[in-house]
Amino acid sequence: MDTVIEVEGLRKEYRRVRGNRTVALDGLDLAVPRGGVFGFLGPNGAGKTTTIRCLLGLVRPSGGRCRLLGEEPSGLHRVIGRVGSIVESPTMYPRFSARRNLELLGRISGVGRARVREVLDEVGLAERADDQVKTYSLGMKQRLGVAGALLKDPEVLILDEPANGLDPAGIVEVRELMRRLGSQGRTVFVSSHILNEVQQTADRLAILAKGRQVATGPVYEVLTAGHATGLLVRLDDVAEGLRILGEAGIDARVDDGLIRVGLPPADAARVTRTLADRGLYLTELRADEADLETVFLELTGGASTEGSR
Amino acid sequence: MRGLLASEFRRFRSRRLVKVLIALELLAIVATGVIVFLTQEYALVGLPDVLMGTSLVLVSVGWILGASAIGADWHAGHVTTILSWEPRRGRVLFAKIAAALTGVFVLSLAIQALLGIALAVAAAGAGSTTGTDAAWLAESTGVALRVAALSTIFAGFGFGLASAGRNTAVALGVGFGYLVIVENLVRGLRPQWTPWLLTDNAGLFVVDSPIDFPLLGRSTIGAGLYLATVGATLLLAASALFRTRDVN
Repeated sequence: MDTVIEVEGLRKEYRRVRGNRTVALDGLDLAVPRGGVFGFLGPNGAGKTTTIRCLLGLVRPSGGRCRLLGEEPSGLHRVIGRVGSIVESPTMYPRFSARRNLELLGRISGVGRARVREVLDEVGLAERADDQVKTYSLGMKQRLGVAGALLKDPEVLILDEPANGLDPAGIVEVRELMRRLGSQGRTVFVSSHILNEVQQTADRLAILAKGRQVATGPVYEVLTAGHATGLLVRLDDVAEGLRILGEAGIDARVDDGLIRVGLPPADAARVTRTLADRGLYLTELRADEADLETVFLELTGGASTEGSR
Repeated sequence: MRGLLASEFRRFRSRRLVKVLIALELLAIVATGVIVFLTQEYALVGLPDVLMGTSLVLVSVGWILGASAIGADWHAGHVTTILSWEPRRGRVLFAKIAAALTGVFVLSLAIQALLGIALAVAAAGAGSTTGTDAAWLAESTGVALRVAALSTIFAGFGFGLASAGRNTAVALGVGFGYLVIVENLVRGLRPQWTPWLLTDNAGLFVVDSPIDFPLLGRSTIGAGLYLATVGATLLLAASALFRTRDVN
């Protein structure tokens, strides 16, 4: 598998007053394949931002290794032109306009004004591009951060909570933007605590708790791991449906007015066909699987570690 | 590197603090010219003394601009943004130092040149230009260059302290405390340490008269080199800290 982010046994300790140490990362392993959207989940204080800061060379790991596009932090300058990022709240000069801020950043890597116009347009800030950033709402500042991350036309985007402060419409826009970027062959590595967004957007994900990875893989696999999966069927005549499915050798039982079928969602067609052949037409059929929130809370213990790390 | 330098120079020029300080200094120059014109007594031959008199203001401005050039970035969290574009921290700091120090030097020189022109116009219209020969011009130019160099060195002090403390206020507070309180105490309690005081060396460097600073025991160039060495040491220490500390 071609990986763009590789993390092996990454450890980060912070020294506190009186010699105390807090462990932000405790031997994290992570592999992010090229292309698509990769969700990076964890409660507050789990080490998501510290991981991103290590990858971008902003903090030095206490142990372990991390590589971005094959380069360790010491060689990051060789690939930084292919990486766009937002770390926590994007920071721009508040008294400069969005355009000037982006032009100043772009000048570092030789990005021209035409590209600045493109990204401002892409994030919907073209009309306010010449206003001072200090007059922007939180959501607009977040969009400007995304524009800054896109400026280099990067093949890897690292976005730390990109939907922070966005209104519902803004969240949808960011979701669509991430999907679009992921479908263009770029790798979008996004940390978020908005689980529903990640579930809808990401192809793969990793869940972090107390500085360690507790689950990783394609979203569907993470959701189904350790959970019984099946199908939920709603019929007018539940008793008859149960009988027909039983005769067809399909494991089924009644659960809260619905029939819970012990087949994976991929076998939904077999259920509908079996019932329809006997003149029973279902009114609802859906996968019975844990949602990301349930899985997340089970894996992380449900508690924020903020303040204790 | 060229792009990084260009970006930092452009940012320095665009900063509101720079514009406000330039506006205030221009206002002061115009006021000085008008007062000189109205009093009708000014002799342009005294320009070097006037330029020496600007040194305190320009050195203070240099310190503030140097400190805020990096302190404002730390305060706003912009260092993270810049490092995500250029992760080689040495280059980032070098570009910021180059922009701040060059900007302060040019600004100090330009302000003095404008002041000189304003006074020359006022003296020509309603004062005296007697004695403004080649030697006068050389002396005036020398003073202006030394004052500009001094304000640049002090900008380096401010930058170094603000970079290490990650805050403009730290640099201003430490600078004020050291120069006004510590050096005065040392001057009174340990006069034998006077050769190492920044304020005395700065005075000698501007006035260019070693005989007026007998306790220093060094030449004007020696004082300038001492100050530059202290400034460079401070910047190197700040650079070492910048390269090794985490950016959170």
